[in-house]
Amino acid sequence: MERTRVNVAVGLFVLIGMLALGYLSVNLGRVSFLGGVGYRVTAEFPSVGGLKPGSTVEIAGVEIGRVESIALKDYQALVTLRIDSRIKLQEDSIASIKTKGLIGEKYLRISPGGSEKIIPPGGRIREVEAPVDFEELLSKYIFGKV
Amino acid sequence: MATLGRSGWVFATGLAMVLAAAPARAGQPTDQLRVEIDRVLDDPELKREGRARERRVEIRRIANGIFDFEETARRSLARHWAPRTPAERDEFVQLFADLLERSYLSKIELYGGERIAYVGETIDGDTAIVKTKITTRQGTEIPVDYRMHKRGDRWLVYDVIIEGVSLVANYRAQFNKIITTSSYADLVKKMRAKQDEVLGDEKQKRTSQR
Repeated sequence: MERTRVNVAVGLFVLIGMLALGYLSVNLGRVSFLGGVGYRVTAEFPSVGGLKPGSTVEIAGVEIGRVESIALKDYQALVTLRIDSRIKLQEDSIASIKTKGLIGEKYLRISPGGSEKIIPPGGRIREVEAPVDFEELLSKYIFGKV
Repeated sequence: MATLGRSGWVFATGLAMVLAAAPARAGQPTDQLRVEIDRVLDDPELKREGRARERRVEIRRIANGIFDFEETARRSLARHWAPRTPAERDEFVQLFADLLERSYLSKIELYGGERIAYVGETIDGDTAIVKTKITTRQGTEIPVDYRMHKRGDRWLVYDVIIEGVSLVANYRAQFNKIITTSSYADLVKKMRAKQDEVLGDEKQKRTSQR
């Protein structure tokens, strides 16, 4: 009798521990159960410089999706995003890769446009801004001035 | 013989069509842009000192052949464009064109022989990107991309991306900030005040009344 109680208690403890672990890995690892939720759009950048799958997609600082995958296509970066299905992106929306703070992580910012045309699921964001490479910019103007 | 003649004719017609279409399609946005930009840079009238008013008219005339100011204004105003009345839109386009002219086009006299290379072009339906590189006299290369779209039979620029920074994105953020923190009327007031200031300066210089 006593033994069974202890066993049950241990079992429960282990179960709770595993649940906590699962919760942690989902949250920290950015594995999302929302995999099927939302729709995909793509955008092509000359360079993504530090953007990674799992990076956030934001409008006005609010997360509206995640970067699903990044691939190389014609020596350009093809970024696939998964966007919350409640959010509509206008055809003239601009996708820019920005840095959080000065040296923070990269994220994708979308500035909504005013067009009546909406990008359909599977569509493409045409207007893009590549990240500004400060080092390159700096060296350009340092070495440029001869 | 008859069949050969006919197939020969079909082939010739096909070839003619391809030849006729090819120059129109291959590099059309680039060619058009190059012609217009060269025209600006070669125009001696634009470099002459003084005569600000005439110069402004001339710049605006050429700029209208390159830029689609309405599209640029519409994209910059983004979601604040739809609620505007047609009259407000017209006024805004005018003020925005003035702003661009003040900020960029009037700097044309600073041009000192920088080289412009047209490095690439991608056409996607009725939009195109023309990539150029400006080489300064110090040898610094500045990438400048023009985003163009087709209006009728002409390609017009609606966005300029310098060193990866988009003009429309820049103004969209600024306008959005002003409109959301105060109001559209305030934005127009600001833009108008700025333009009046510039015109006022010019008037003073000419010391003549309108």
